[in-house]
Amino acid sequence: MIKLIGAVLVLFAGTMIGFAQAARFAERPKQIRSLLHALQRLETEIGYGQTPLPDALHRMSLAIPPPLSAMFAGIAAELRSGSGSTVGEVWEKALTAGWASTSMRAGEKEAMLRLGATLGGSGKEDQLKHVRLAALQLQSEEATAREEQQRYEKLCRSLGVLGAALVVILMV
Amino acid sequence: MPIALFEWLPGRIRELMAKLPESVTGQLEEIRIRENRPLEIGYGGRFAFVGGDGSATSDHRAGYRPNRDDCRAFLEKITDHSLYAVEEELRRGYVTVAGGHRIGLAGRTVLEGGAVRHLRDVSGFNVRIARARVGSSSRLLPALLDREARTIRHTLIVSPPQQGKTTLLRDLARAISSGEWNHPAAIGWGGRKVGIVDERSEIAACERGVPTFDLGPRCDVLDACPKAEGMMMLVRSMSPEVVVVDEIGRPEDADALREALHSGVRVLASAHASDLADVFRRPVLSELVRDGMFGAYVLLSRTGGRVEHRVFGAKEAEDEARRRGGLRSWATPRDAPEPSARAAEEALFVPRGIPEPAIKARPLPLIRSPDGASGEVGGHD
Repeated sequence: MIKLIGAVLVLFAGTMIGFAQAARFAERPKQIRSLLHALQRLETEIGYGQTPLPDALHRMSLAIPPPLSAMFAGIAAELRSGSGSTVGEVWEKALTAGWASTSMRAGEKEAMLRLGATLGGSGKEDQLKHVRLAALQLQSEEATAREEQQRYEKLCRSLGVLGAALVVILMV
Repeated sequence: MPIALFEWLPGRIRELMAKLPESVTGQLEEIRIRENRPLEIGYGGRFAFVGGDGSATSDHRAGYRPNRDDCRAFLEKITDHSLYAVEEELRRGYVTVAGGHRIGLAGRTVLEGGAVRHLRDVSGFNVRIARARVGSSSRLLPALLDREARTIRHTLIVSPPQQGKTTLLRDLARAISSGEWNHPAAIGWGGRKVGIVDERSEIAACERGVPTFDLGPRCDVLDACPKAEGMMMLVRSMSPEVVVVDEIGRPEDADALREALHSGVRVLASAHASDLADVFRRPVLSELVRDGMFGAYVLLSRTGGRVEHRVFGAKEAEDEARRRGGLRSWATPRDAPEPSARAAEEALFVPRGIPEPAIKARPLPLIRSPDGASGEVGGHD
């Protein structure tokens, strides 16, 4: 009886691990997509509204789902607080701290960090170029992410179930 | 004014400034931040350096030297982390922060087709502290009244930089729009509608379009608008009775002023010039003056903390300018000694007697005429 319960638990846990992995693969392109939307929003704020950066980031954070929104809302609040730190520092700190809670990888982070180092520090044209460059990089990451999703999402799910089954068989 | 209010100053500099004695911060006029050079302040017509321990000293070697990070953080702070939003201001060389304090910038200019497109490597800042001196115009205003029209005369306020033109202009606008004419004949006139074209955001210090200085109840402000265009916009759309503009001097300003003056509004303007003779020498101003545009001229001068003013009518101004026309009129530094002392000083250095010419006369070569006749034409020994 206990053996049976144990087997069921192992099977359940293995399946869940597989599903969680699969969800990560499915979530990544979605989050990259919403980041792209956010950048587009930022581009409009800078290009047409000439909105000050803290305001622009705040509005950007309203337009995207969590956990991404929390990062940008945090940056906006930190810049507003008048602590005297520069955009680059605040941006890097917030992204490093918040990145683990997202499903995104190092490639996207790299692109966003590079954007943060230049944000607010130059004229309009230059800013728009940097934002577009970051968007281009994100787009290529998105393509890779979609490919990986197609290839590994189902694989992860079945691997979880089958792995758990293997453990159960070995145990019995 | 408590330094704590200057939240846009970099942390380290704000700490130092907060330690300065009250007698200094009370009359603070300028804070000059230069990268790797001593921190300087101007107060009560004098200047001093701020030491690393927060004391005001005249020795520049003891001064605190802001580093590159201080300056970068400062620039980010005053532009609200958004250089892209203040490109136009950077091109003109200043930004205005909350409270109406204007911050002049110096750095390396980026040119495009010969015109300044951008300012980069900003390493010098001059913070000009704006203050509202409510009531500072109460002695002046009665002299500017036009009793028949029950308003003020067209007025030009003239002074060198740093003498309180903008402060005076601000208080005049407040007094006119709230009807504090301070004259027995003007009791019951009420306030006039005042329109301000605030190109540098200094007069009204608008935050999100709302003036932060008290400008009276009947005042409209066009914030950050070019003067010439702004004057026409106001006259067309806001029906002002008095238009206030700061620092006129460009040809297009003159055209707009002429339009405004003839469209039935009164104009209160200020201009940089060291005295009236200077006004007559500046091409745009002199043209306006010669056309008899202004009904009154106010000349500001400052001794110590007090601002003195003299009012001239149009006729007097012309006479005064003619009288002083021959005098030298270039601006002298604010902390230069009084003219009489300077004259005495100069007298000490004037060499006695007529100095010897450095090149001695020497005989010139003979010049022979072409026909061969020898003769000493224009000979010299």
